[in-house]
Amino acid sequence: MQVPQRRLVHLAPLALALGVTAWLKSWEEIPRWVKYYPRDWKVPADKQLDALFNFFAEEVDLGLFTFKELTRGFAWVIERLLLFVQGVFAKGFEFYGDAMTPWLVIPPLSWVAVTGLFAILAYWASGRALAILVAVFFAYFAVFDLWENAMLTLASVFVAVLLGIAIGVALGALGYRSRVFNAILTPIYDIMQTTPIWSYLVPVLVFFGFGPLAGLLATVVFAMPPMARVTTLALQRVPANTSDFGDMAGCTRRQKMWLVMLPSARRSLLIGINQVIMLSLAAVIVASIIGAGGLGADVYRALTALRIGDAVEAGLAITLLAIALDRISQGIAMRRPVHEVESARNLIRRHPLVTLALALVVASAVLGPFVPAVKSFPDSLTISTGDVWNDVVKWLNVNHHETIGGFRDFFIIHLLKPVKLFFIRLPWPAVILVAVTLGYALGGWRLALLAGLLLTGIALSGYWKQAMISLYLATLGVLASMLIGAPIGVAAALNRRVDRVVTVIIDTLQTLPTFVYLLPVVMLFATGEFPAFVAIVMYAVLPAIRYTKHGIANIPRPIIEATDLSGATRMQKLFQVQIPLALPDILLGVNQVLMMAFGMLVITALVGTRGLEQEALTSLAKVRPGTGVVTGLGIACLVIVSDRMITAASVLSRRHLGLATAAPAMA
Amino acid sequence: MSDTASKGASPPGREDEVMVRCERVWKVFGAGAERVIAEHGASVSDETLARHELIAAVRDVNLSVNRGEIFVIMGLSGSGKSTLVRCMTGLIGLTLGRLLIDGTDLMNISTRDLVEVRRYKMGMVFQDFALLPHLTVLGNVVFPLKIQGVERGAREARAREMIELVGLSGRERYYPHELSGGQQQRVGIARSLTTEPEIWFLDEPFSALDPLIRHEMQDELQRLQGILRKTIVFITHDFDEAIKLADRIAIMNEGRVVQIGTPEGLVVNPANDYVAEFTQKIPRARVLTVRAVMGPPGRAGGEPIPENALVHEAAERVLAAEQPLPVSNARGELVGSLDRDAVIRVLLEKDRG
Ligand SMILES: Nc1ncnc2c1ncn2[C@@H]1O[C@H](COP(=O)(O)OP(=O)(O)OP(=O)(O)O)[C@@H](O)[C@H]1O
Ligand SMILES: [Mg+2]
Repeated sequence: MQVPQRRLVHLAPLALALGVTAWLKSWEEIPRWVKYYPRDWKVPADKQLDALFNFFAEEVDLGLFTFKELTRGFAWVIERLLLFVQGVFAKGFEFYGDAMTPWLVIPPLSWVAVTGLFAILAYWASGRALAILVAVFFAYFAVFDLWENAMLTLASVFVAVLLGIAIGVALGALGYRSRVFNAILTPIYDIMQTTPIWSYLVPVLVFFGFGPLAGLLATVVFAMPPMARVTTLALQRVPANTSDFGDMAGCTRRQKMWLVMLPSARRSLLIGINQVIMLSLAAVIVASIIGAGGLGADVYRALTALRIGDAVEAGLAITLLAIALDRISQGIAMRRPVHEVESARNLIRRHPLVTLALALVVASAVLGPFVPAVKSFPDSLTISTGDVWNDVVKWLNVNHHETIGGFRDFFIIHLLKPVKLFFIRLPWPAVILVAVTLGYALGGWRLALLAGLLLTGIALSGYWKQAMISLYLATLGVLASMLIGAPIGVAAALNRRVDRVVTVIIDTLQTLPTFVYLLPVVMLFATGEFPAFVAIVMYAVLPAIRYTKHGIANIPRPIIEATDLSGATRMQKLFQVQIPLALPDILLGVNQVLMMAFGMLVITALVGTRGLEQEALTSLAKVRPGTGVVTGLGIACLVIVSDRMITAASVLSRRHLGLATAAPAMA
Repeated sequence: MSDTASKGASPPGREDEVMVRCERVWKVFGAGAERVIAEHGASVSDETLARHELIAAVRDVNLSVNRGEIFVIMGLSGSGKSTLVRCMTGLIGLTLGRLLIDGTDLMNISTRDLVEVRRYKMGMVFQDFALLPHLTVLGNVVFPLKIQGVERGAREARAREMIELVGLSGRERYYPHELSGGQQQRVGIARSLTTEPEIWFLDEPFSALDPLIRHEMQDELQRLQGILRKTIVFITHDFDEAIKLADRIAIMNEGRVVQIGTPEGLVVNPANDYVAEFTQKIPRARVLTVRAVMGPPGRAGGEPIPENALVHEAAERVLAAEQPLPVSNARGELVGSLDRDAVIRVLLEKDRG
């Protein structure tokens, strides 16, 4: 086996050591500009962008109409669509004509109809078990008086997913057709997926105005990239002969794409759609906080008013909605068509589920006016467990205040504070230097250049300190997740029973929108960096477990058998064979952990962190699009640099072990 | 086995009956292939190709396929068979050379004309079936007609006819994943025939099937060819399959066609060791015709054997007869005689080097 070129790996720790010792020895003597990035050196990109956005929004005149009119016109079209779907699910339609009172009122689908429709869909997608589960979930919305908000959320998700699929498939197909296009799009997707949602909410607000629509568009930006990526990938993976068949059958270009390529890639596309749905739900929940209405707003309002019980109920509703949508869309993706047994002439016989669905809608619409309970769930029957939860929290606060508070303070004093101080006091030129050397050592001059440029960009923007605060929380989150997740992953890999339990828990937790994680931590630890830290770890520990388990389970059997034959003890086997060999996979896992940590970090701005994500969030309140974009890109820079470094490290360790290098993908 | 009996009497290659003609066809993969080949021409050396990191998948191939014959292209994996067929169908362009389909130069026609040629002249069957997973059997078979815009009633009637032809009646509503490999390939065959193509390309159509089914499908192909009389270009890396089906075989090695001939010709006169390697394991009685081993007409009696029968078909009668049997040609004239010794020599593979 060829010993891999180590490049200048030894230089990185050296630079770090030099920097740190210099800093420790004479903090006082270090010139001020090294310690703190000077204010005068700031490039006021944020202010300039603010002005530029305002210029576009207020003054650019395209002749027949202004730029603002253009964007608002575009918005108007999508808004119709959103209003229509909202009308169907939640609000109904009223036609006024000239009169003050509507001459025609069409009610929304009744709760009975919607519950039934989703149960039927679930039955079609997967079977009776899921149908019952979904029916129970939807009944929960009604019983806990969350129906309307759940339906508003659902409507937003529906429209966002439609747009996400349409745009994603179109861009994905373009990326498949043209290599150049794909090369341009891929880094843009990277940035779209790593930039905090707050950042594009602001420009969207400026151009499209406040309201549900802004949230919707931001959601599409956030949730669309995976669809485009999956589409390109799925099209590339269509068997060569199937593509050739399309040509041989004499398809035109368009016929080939629509009738051969996309249908053949159907399975992967459906899995992509599942991702879009889940990401859209997560984003819709967050966006609803800025005034879009829906379950997210419920939770947020209840939390800020300290009505813990209401928050828990709405949070649970989000969870149930997430699980229902995830299982249904997965079921559809796994579904295989079955031939019809006989050629029934009868349309009703041929499509029993469609018939049942139609019958349900019609029946509930007819019965609605006469039986109020069908139209909307009777108020007298709604229940609330709010008080119970309030009591639980009260009880916790009264009886365990000291334990919980002590726990929190211990971590703040001994972990968070010192690490934060360390990160803030790192001289910025040293950080850039270390990143460049590390980049060079791991991935050559290209990575070095990338790291240097992006980090310098952050310094220039004048948000260095905030960036370090973000980095400190994310880094701590990653480390803690790995420390907690890796042993669990190892246990799951070695023990079937543990594995089964862990898998169920992970699968469920994974479907939850990020926002839901804030609920328990706020209940226990109020606000600040500690609850944020806990939320990050809870969320990011999932891939740590999964990848570790995967890495160990994937070690080739012959190696394990040879180790057993050599008489190694279980511990020897674990620490000298299994873990070292699983290292490349685990490193890839670290990458995923990092993505998740930053993803959650962005959301924790809501509980009062102090980093770039907070700047982005406040820029939203102050309607400063430039600041939002600059700070958002700052986070994207941090994520991209760390992602590339870890990927390079994984490739290096793979080569070191003499394993084949698989192209790692950024999920 | 009546088809095999007529082997060797394949139609003569009259100019107007050539359906596919390859003239000095080259296909070179890699960046800058066009430039390098334009510079060096057909005399490009292996070193030059290697230096530019080019792969010559097809080199200087000259051949013609006649109307109504089964032309088999065979060779080891990677010898360029699929690439050659992809050139013939215009799926990929040539690097050098000329390719005529029924007289039309594929390289000099517009995309629209190429689409027309594919729609009405060519049919193709693929190794991995390449069925569309979201369509039923009927949907798959009807697909090429639907693309052409044929009216619904007509196209479905035609598709049902084809499904019946390949013996899948009753399965019209099944989806590909509900069928066995052999059945899926029957769908592939039916689909490639719905448009009534003149030239039928089959790229290792039976390689993915297990041996029993493969034999069954080979018989099926012979049955269909008995009815349809298409011009067939058939790719395989299985020499048994080749001699069973072929009128003529082209053997490829590293992109070159090393020999073209009838099965018998290849077995009797292999051009080089590479060809001999393939023919070695083939029982000669299965490829040699009576004409190749008969003696002069003489002391013989009994019902005559046709001269183009295979030795293994005639063996039983010769061995059972008291005296040599007479051999007759197509017009019924006596042209030779076949005795027991000659048959035994063939059966025992006596003359093999
Ligand atoms: N698109 C391509 N780009 C580069 N090289 C190719 C391409 N297609 C084929 N080749 C190369 O051309 C050579 C011939 O390939 P081809 O597929 O024609 O072989 P084959 O005889 O059909 O083999 P098999 O029996 O495995 O199907 C191989 O070395 C292959 O790697
Ligand atoms: Mg091939």
